Amino acid sequence: MSQRDVKNRISSVKNIQKITRAMEMVAAARLRRAEQRIEHLRPYAEAIRRMTRTAAGAAENIPHLPILKEHATQESVGLLLVTGDRGLAGAFNSQIIRAGLRAATEYEAAGQKVHFSATGRRGVSSLTFRGRELEGRYVGFTDRPAFADARQIAEDLMVAYVDQKVDRVEIFYNGYISPLSQVVRRETLLPLQQASILGDDDLDVVEDASDSATVNHARSLVEYEPDPEEILKRLVPDYVEISVYRALLESTASEHGARMTAMRSASENAGEIIEDLTLEMNRARQAEITQEIMEVVAGAEALT
Amino acid sequence: MARNRFPVEILTPEGEVYKGEVEMLSTKTSVGSIGILANHAPLLAMLDPTELRLYESDTEIVRFAQGEGYLQVSDNKALMLVEDAIRPDALDVENLRERLDEAARTLEQAQDGSAEQAKARRDKRRWEAFLKVAEGPASS
Repeated sequence: MSQRDVKNRISSVKNIQKITRAMEMVAAARLRRAEQRIEHLRPYAEAIRRMTRTAAGAAENIPHLPILKEHATQESVGLLLVTGDRGLAGAFNSQIIRAGLRAATEYEAAGQKVHFSATGRRGVSSLTFRGRELEGRYVGFTDRPAFADARQIAEDLMVAYVDQKVDRVEIFYNGYISPLSQVVRRETLLPLQQASILGDDDLDVVEDASDSATVNHARSLVEYEPDPEEILKRLVPDYVEISVYRALLESTASEHGARMTAMRSASENAGEIIEDLTLEMNRARQAEITQEIMEVVAGAEALT
Repeated sequence: MARNRFPVEILTPEGEVYKGEVEMLSTKTSVGSIGILANHAPLLAMLDPTELRLYESDTEIVRFAQGEGYLQVSDNKALMLVEDAIRPDALDVENLRERLDEAARTLEQAQDGSAEQAKARRDKRRWEAFLKVAEGPASS
């Protein structure tokens, strides 16, 4: 490569580095806000979960609500994939899509139908590209999801479940742990009997254990106002909405974290490339100078 | 005589708004007004929008405009999960009036039995309750 080519490459890599640095900083600023929102929501979401479980435990013998009814057959599954509107965030989007497709393959192997829906343009376009029909496309808000967005999605999912279009609803999203680490979470939202709330996974395991103990022996002692069935009529939709909202917020925080990390390593990588190229350019320049000196010396020798 | 105190925690989707010990908690369930004292029996209740009062002592009363939610009492602890809990001095009367009018208009135009109607009805009830809180200490 000639000196000029190398120089051009260095300047283009420098431009890329500027862009990735800027993106890293934007992601860091947004991450702080997203982190705050999810941290504020978590205690509420956990409490709603526990409360739903308590009430559902007490109401076991009254499955009149269509939303509470477990379907007799398991013929179709609704999968909601929570992704981002934009890429350049490392494995953030692809790991969700991979997990979702793997689950779909399993269900289809077992002879069940899979209905996809997705939030975020990346998820929507990847699934469409793979020839999947989408029941719901929710895009344009993953930077800053509002509760109304979650409500809309939750409503669609519940309608599909109540109308027996799907017999099970699962949600896939990136759980936020730290800017450096996000894990794919797979949760069952409906039917409630199999929902992830009943066999619990997360954070406050200790509190949960004591809680379920009190629930079990105090089931008949708890007063309900109004009766558990009435409470569940409002609590279950709230629970689904909050769960979806939580997934959206977890995903947003994860997206900014993943993008920040990805952009940081891109900037570092660009720095390395610049170093290598500078070295190469210097070497090329020196080779050129040596060449010229040799030509001059050879010319002088020829004259004497 | 001072009553026994018990811990109360209020959570909203935007975070914790109150955590402390109170002598009495007064709010409204979908059945009717309710007051909780220490050592109350385990309870799970559905709350309607109203003025929430937390009696930290006979004279110290913390008030909130409280939205829909749930109240759980267990092990002598009260946990409230509500969609809003706003201090009365943070309420904007003008703004509430506008929202109430808007909800009332939507309610009139909404189709019978539609989800829009149900939402407008809930909105209207919430803004009415908040307006009452905002317009000064309740006479009751």
